[in-house]
Amino acid sequence: MKGIIAIIKKEFARFFLDRRMLITTILLPGILIYVVYTLMGSVVSGLVSGDSQYAVAVKNMPQSLSPLFSTVQQLQITDADGNDDDYKAQVEDGRLALYVVFPEDFDEAIADKNDPAFQTLQIEMWYNSADENSSLAYSLFVGVLDAYEESIANLFDVKDGGYDLASDASVTSYILSAVVPMVLLVLLFSGCMAVAPESIAGEKERGTLATMLVTPVKRSHIAIGKIVSLSCISLLSGVSSFLGLILSLPNLMQGAFDGFSLSMFSVGDYFMMLGVMLSTVLLLVGVISCVSALAKSVKEASSYVGPLNIIVIVVGLLSSFAGGAASPLLYLIPVYNSAMIVTDIMALSVSPLAFALTMLSNIVVAGLLVFLLTRMFNSEKIMFNK
Amino acid sequence: MDIVLSVQNLKKQFRLSYKQQKLQNTDKKVITAVDNLSFTANRGEIFGLLGPNGAGKTTTLRMLATLITPDSGDAFVEGYSIVKEPDKVRSRIGFLTGELKLEDFFTPNYLFNFFSELYGIEEGVRNSRKRELFSRFGIDRFAEVKLANLSTGMKQKVSLVISVVNDPDFIIFDEPTNGLDVLTAKTVTDFLLELKAQGKTIILSTHIFSLVEKICDRAGIIIDGRLAALDTVSALTAQKNLEDVFFDIYAARQGGAQ
Ligand SMILES: Nc1ncnc2c1ncn2[C@@H]1O[C@H](COP(=O)(O)OP(=O)(O)OP(=O)(O)O)[C@@H](O)[C@H]1O
Ligand SMILES: [Mg+2]
Repeated sequence: MKGIIAIIKKEFARFFLDRRMLITTILLPGILIYVVYTLMGSVVSGLVSGDSQYAVAVKNMPQSLSPLFSTVQQLQITDADGNDDDYKAQVEDGRLALYVVFPEDFDEAIADKNDPAFQTLQIEMWYNSADENSSLAYSLFVGVLDAYEESIANLFDVKDGGYDLASDASVTSYILSAVVPMVLLVLLFSGCMAVAPESIAGEKERGTLATMLVTPVKRSHIAIGKIVSLSCISLLSGVSSFLGLILSLPNLMQGAFDGFSLSMFSVGDYFMMLGVMLSTVLLLVGVISCVSALAKSVKEASSYVGPLNIIVIVVGLLSSFAGGAASPLLYLIPVYNSAMIVTDIMALSVSPLAFALTMLSNIVVAGLLVFLLTRMFNSEKIMFNK
Repeated sequence: MDIVLSVQNLKKQFRLSYKQQKLQNTDKKVITAVDNLSFTANRGEIFGLLGPNGAGKTTTLRMLATLITPDSGDAFVEGYSIVKEPDKVRSRIGFLTGELKLEDFFTPNYLFNFFSELYGIEEGVRNSRKRELFSRFGIDRFAEVKLANLSTGMKQKVSLVISVVNDPDFIIFDEPTNGLDVLTAKTVTDFLLELKAQGKTIILSTHIFSLVEKICDRAGIIIDGRLAALDTVSALTAQKNLEDVFFDIYAARQGGAQ
């Protein structure tokens, strides 16, 4: 027991006293993910909506249309009665975003739309495609016209736009449950990958593991101490990335995500989340440690671990198709079960049995991996393969 | 005579990979590094293992330190088998060899504490030993400097100190003066004599004849993994100096082999 604690303390000292490691594996991932997703969100929404207003001059604004346009706040519409060329010049030099000319008798002509002699009306619009504001004003304006055209053709309607029976919370958590498990697995895996090869293959490569092997500390204690401490560090890295992701989601999805808030989840959900993350990380660190122990160098270890990363991504993707109704036995498959449980937690529909099976299976497999790593520490062929 | 170490027919072979075969310019798939080696070391003596490069000295010492296991044969340290009771052996020995490194990131102070903990040494005992050893080697001034920033000599001194952190009665040194300047090398050999004066048993490997003549009580000459001579140093050097004795043995063996 003393040996385990000594090893854990040493791994923590190695990590937490090294400012560079601390920053690159714990602080940066979370901050980067938050900043990148938030930026992505604001770029996307800036293109779609934004608070800017566009000056539009309209000649012969039909009476039927003017109330429609007054609801679109981004369009500042003024009546045009001057010379066409003046307005075109203003669009060209950017003072005006858009200039529109309706036919003079637009409303009367529309009223006769069922007359066989009816001819399609021509609306003239001038805009500047090189100017982003002008293009946006143009598409907004056309959008309103299309909506109007559709409404006067009126063959059928969806009553009240349909009735959505989902509560806000379950819509957002449905989206979350599809995306988050896979991303979470990837983040956890990269957290483990940042520390485990360095600590196992690195120590082997530098000859510092051999120094521990000549002391009477049990090999199993070295294995347990390493896996436990590396798991804690990886978990911190994973939690940091995960927080970055969760906190940036509202920014990323902007308006589309109004119902989302972190208070949707209960304290129990958060504990389950942490539990799954911890058991998953134990397992991943176990696998990566065993693979690293086989390698002669950190570089070689990283090249072995790469393909594992792909497997984890694929498993994460698969789980987002299954989830929910799956047979409880599926929750015994490591990694796959973690992804499914995260899906369930996000969808606010996790079953205690599934959760228990997941934890049990992950911890048992992690235990087997500790045993395997101990065997490897005992094998001179593996420890001293030059 | 109190026998501390008894080596009985130790044998170790290595399988050579294709790459190693090419590197060593041989077509042998298996190389016998240590071939039926037997000898004993008595309490309170410095026993020298003398041999040319590749003779099997390091391999022998690694087996004694339980880092690798022999293919056949056994050795007993204070009566404990290196094969059957490696844990017991590990807690009773100190081992210094170039292969065992210390983490560059840590300070001598941290490492001393860490290894003391692995040996389960009490804090009070540890602190007084640390004070004594650190001042003995002048490490105290560098106690809080990361190993990465220490000179080669100072690093070797730290390794030396860490190798005896558990105050072992039986100590294995593999080429302890390799790569050191004469001053640092002298600190090391002085320390070996000091340990001997404390009644400790030391087994030392080297290819430096003068070192054996200077500090060893008995020596074994090993060539190609086999013991070619074994006697007290005074008996070995009764007629000629050790270097000439070695050349005679080597020439006789080569002649016999042809
Ligand atoms: N892990 C290994 N795999 C293959 N061959 C090995 C291995 N370790 C040692 N050998 C071979 O065994 C032989 C004995 O090596 P050893 O290191 O014991 O010699 P040594 O007496 O310590 O030599 P030196 O004075 O050069 O340190 C050498 O031929 C070496 O190449
Ligand atoms: Mg050697």
